[in-house]
Amino acid sequence: MSHGIVLVGLSHHTAPVEVRERIAFANGRLEPALKMLVNRPGVEEGVIVSTCNRVEVVACGSDPDVIAGELPAFLADTHTVPAADLTGQLYTHRDREAVRHLFRVASSLDSMVVGEPQVLGQLKEQYAVAAAVGASGRILHRCFHKSFSVAKRIRSETGIAERAVSVGSAAVELACDIFDRFDDKTALLLGAGVMGELTARQLLAKGTDTLMVANRTFERAADVARELGGIAVPFERVGRMLHLADLVVCAAGGDVLVHAAQIEEAMRERRGRPMLLIDLAVPRAIEPAVSELDGVYLFDIDDLDGVIAENRGVRAGEAGRAEAIVDAEVEGFWHWLEGLDVVPTIVALRDKFERIRQREVARHLASLGDLEPREREVVERLTRAIVNKVLHHPVTALRRHRMGQGETRYIEAARSLFHLEGDDPADEEE
Amino acid sequence: MEIVLLRGAAGLYLGATIAALVGIAVRKDFPTRLFHWLVGAGLALHVASLGIRSVLVGHLPVANFGEGLSLLAALLVGVFLVVQRRGPLIALGAVVMPLAFGITLSASVLKGGAQPLPAMLQSIWLPIHVLLALLGDAVFAIACSASVLYLIQERRLKARRGRGVLKGLPSLERLDQVSYSALKWGLILLTLGILTGIVWAHEAWERGDWLADPKLLFSVLVWAMYTVLLQGRMTAGWRGRWAAQLTIAGFAVIIVSLVSVNVFRLGAHGGAF
Repeated sequence: MSHGIVLVGLSHHTAPVEVRERIAFANGRLEPALKMLVNRPGVEEGVIVSTCNRVEVVACGSDPDVIAGELPAFLADTHTVPAADLTGQLYTHRDREAVRHLFRVASSLDSMVVGEPQVLGQLKEQYAVAAAVGASGRILHRCFHKSFSVAKRIRSETGIAERAVSVGSAAVELACDIFDRFDDKTALLLGAGVMGELTARQLLAKGTDTLMVANRTFERAADVARELGGIAVPFERVGRMLHLADLVVCAAGGDVLVHAAQIEEAMRERRGRPMLLIDLAVPRAIEPAVSELDGVYLFDIDDLDGVIAENRGVRAGEAGRAEAIVDAEVEGFWHWLEGLDVVPTIVALRDKFERIRQREVARHLASLGDLEPREREVVERLTRAIVNKVLHHPVTALRRHRMGQGETRYIEAARSLFHLEGDDPADEEE
Repeated sequence: MEIVLLRGAAGLYLGATIAALVGIAVRKDFPTRLFHWLVGAGLALHVASLGIRSVLVGHLPVANFGEGLSLLAALLVGVFLVVQRRGPLIALGAVVMPLAFGITLSASVLKGGAQPLPAMLQSIWLPIHVLLALLGDAVFAIACSASVLYLIQERRLKARRGRGVLKGLPSLERLDQVSYSALKWGLILLTLGILTGIVWAHEAWERGDWLADPKLLFSVLVWAMYTVLLQGRMTAGWRGRWAAQLTIAGFAVIIVSLVSVNVFRLGAHGGAF
């Protein structure tokens, strides 16, 4: 009768991407997998969470031990991966810890970049799939919806998501301090490496109108430009294009590519319109002296790291507050879940005593012969009073311990002492 | 009654200043909403105070320095609200609202009882000239405030620092736009203010007297500065730090002009703006 929640999975904390990608659930495979999940022994409800950073299976049922044994096998079977390959990489959380883990994931406290917003959307989508195929029921429904509201609460009550903590988002944050709108801006990416590309992507996501890409090998520039929807420009002609760029992201290492004299010339052509230069290269590829020019703002990788570190510090403090919110919400949820157990126990207890009372009254009234209605009434009242008095303390104790910390012993004791599991009416005849 | 309303308005402006400062640091919804509420309520009291005064004296209440200051502050807050059409600028409020508070408070202290309007000022030109001139000053105050914020933001970016407590500062581009359009409107209003003043003076006084009026000389100086700045911005691409500094310098001349003309009672404007 009691409920247990088990979460088994692996994430970027425990497993490298080679393992994560092997057991990830692609979109189309989620529905059949969910149907298989709820057919596993002991599993009454199940939800699968699969993102690029984590694969987790949440299930609930009356016997957590059985579920905890089933879930790793389920992950191995559905991906035809030998179970041995997963040992040591999987973590198992039970009950409160499982709920806490889920709440932390939803609030992105467990993410690679704490405070990133994507994970919540993915969680919602995948929960919706589980709900649509009927794999999730009353308990996981409540658990996931609670996780969404916890995430929302943390987002609005703490500053966890406020600050940029990646190079790309720090660059965007700086750009937002200089420019008001991006749909009339041009960005120039010098050096089409991974870091430069990521930064350019963020600038485009912000609405930057035009992207020019230059790279020492033109083919690479053309590839990146095609992928991002930009224009490839020949590396040796960059100097003549500088004045077109409002934002310059330089990620090509080697030697100094952009000189102060070039920027000074560009600023004349731009008639003073401001320019943001971001130098991600080590050693630096933009001459530091450019920052002395009026209207030119230069940030190198250390400056960005400084911005990120400042923001990380803010986030770390906020994360502490977020954890406190998670703790409180886990207790709230668990309280609700335990209430599910205690209420039926009390109802069963009362039912059982009432049945005994009625049976005994009927039997003894028959042997008493004819009684006045008033006398029958007294017998009814007398027996009812006895039952109520006898039950008063056990019921109060059960109710009180529902408020307590994870106390299920009383429920189990009551069920066992009064034999509430058994449906054998013969018991009651004794 | 109108003094009480005016003091109430000053109090609300002070509250708005505090809300704006908090809003810059925490960038949350609540201080922003509170800020707008306080500004709106303050302006409502202020307009009510001006209305009562107008009815009491039977004309636009600008006969002495206190009355002029009160109208100036109300126009400043009004212009500030108009500037916010394109999205809230709570940081600008953190500069504008203390200014509005200071001017309103001075007005409530300086404001004497209602006096009869001197015969010389009884003219249709009074409300026209005064409204244009004061509105011009209010718009320049906005330009100056935006420029102050521009210099703060630009300094921070040049120092290559993160946002720190200055979370809610607008972008340089936005501040430059606000300052630029305020400059254009301010210059139009100032030009009209000077012209109406000349026409009025020409009608009312002996020919030539008004040419040596200190207020006119100050105004022409400000007009020249801002015209040069506007010309530079439009043709030579002046912008950024230099434009911001010049905008602030021009407004400093306006303040010197307002204070000296009224405190030392210079010329025809003396003691009454």
